[in-house]
Amino acid sequence: MSARETVGRRETGLGEDAASVASTGGREAAPAHPNRLPTDWWRRNPRYVLYMLREFTAVPIAIWMVWFLIEIGRARGGPAGYRPHQSLAFVIFSVVCLVFAVWHSFTFLRLSGLIVRIPLGERTVPASAIVAGSFGLLIVATVVVGGLLTLGGR
Amino acid sequence: MPDKTITLSVTRFDPDLDPEPRQQSYEIPFKDDMVVLDGLNWIKTHLDGSVSYRWSCRMGICGSCGMNVNGTPKLGCSAFLRDYLPGPVVVEPLPNFPVVRDLVIDMSSFMEKLSAVKPWIIREQGAIGTGEFLQTPAQTEQYRQFSMCINCMLCYSACPVIAIEPEFIGPAAIALARRYELDSRDQAGDERLRTITASDGIWDCSFVGECSAVCPKGVDPARAIQQTKFDSTLGVLLPWGGK
Repeated sequence: MSARETVGRRETGLGEDAASVASTGGREAAPAHPNRLPTDWWRRNPRYVLYMLREFTAVPIAIWMVWFLIEIGRARGGPAGYRPHQSLAFVIFSVVCLVFAVWHSFTFLRLSGLIVRIPLGERTVPASAIVAGSFGLLIVATVVVGGLLTLGGR
Repeated sequence: MPDKTITLSVTRFDPDLDPEPRQQSYEIPFKDDMVVLDGLNWIKTHLDGSVSYRWSCRMGICGSCGMNVNGTPKLGCSAFLRDYLPGPVVVEPLPNFPVVRDLVIDMSSFMEKLSAVKPWIIREQGAIGTGEFLQTPAQTEQYRQFSMCINCMLCYSACPVIAIEPEFIGPAAIALARRYELDSRDQAGDERLRTITASDGIWDCSFVGECSAVCPKGVDPARAIQQTKFDSTLGVLLPWGGK
């Protein structure tokens, strides 16, 4: 019997395993209680709360992106069609979205060293190098896109 | 009874009698070196012999005594009562598994998921028993941390995706699949990967990360899942991608 198969024979406090506890000597076994996480599971642990907050911040970012796409669509007709929303409320909303986006980027790229595995002979590229490379690419992409948006339209 | 005591609130459930699990409190003597499992054993010996729970090694190796301690999945043998003073310490069965009795859960779904990922070395040429298949320390290091899993199922209890999608293969099984995917002696190719990249596989994971946080052996199942996502994506996008 393999090690995994022995799992079913582990002791219980009664010296019985789950199968024998459930056994009712020929009678139909009593139903086990479905033991699901409650719907408010995300409030039980600060890490769950942080996870839900991070997921939620994707919503305003998505709204902002849709708005941005609409503005780009308007610009197809030339500079006259480009009418960016300039109210103070929208500027504040944009700054908040920027903070959220930076948070997403930072938390995602910080883990890239654990996720991306690049073989290097029998070993792999060190995680620190992958993280540094990821942040480097983010900076380059930000500069290029920022340059296109601010200078390309002139 | 010694001067110092602590209260354990233990889930009781007899499927023949109880419509729902209930909590029952026991006052037990407290010593600084006592773990939750010691407390349960004291209850069973001195107060109530009907309390049911799994345990075996008492040293964090067998993975039998997984239970929810004050809302967090823990090994009963590794959760010191002193960390929960002044109490009470709420001891419940692991969430996301059906409760058979008291703290005893039905682990059959986990065992099915575990065997589904074929957690053994698969060879195309030369069965593993036919000779030596040498491995360097660097090659061993590639999968070593994923091989430390003791199948305690704490990660399944901490995973909200399992609660929503009970068919999700889950953290430990995918970590074990990853362990064999990274083993230089394994030649499974797509055989194992097909299972974990199918529906109910890696793409169900939303990267909450709590599976890795609760692991008592320092295994990082979330990392195994995200690595597999990345590799399988490369395998589709690039002809030389993947493993």
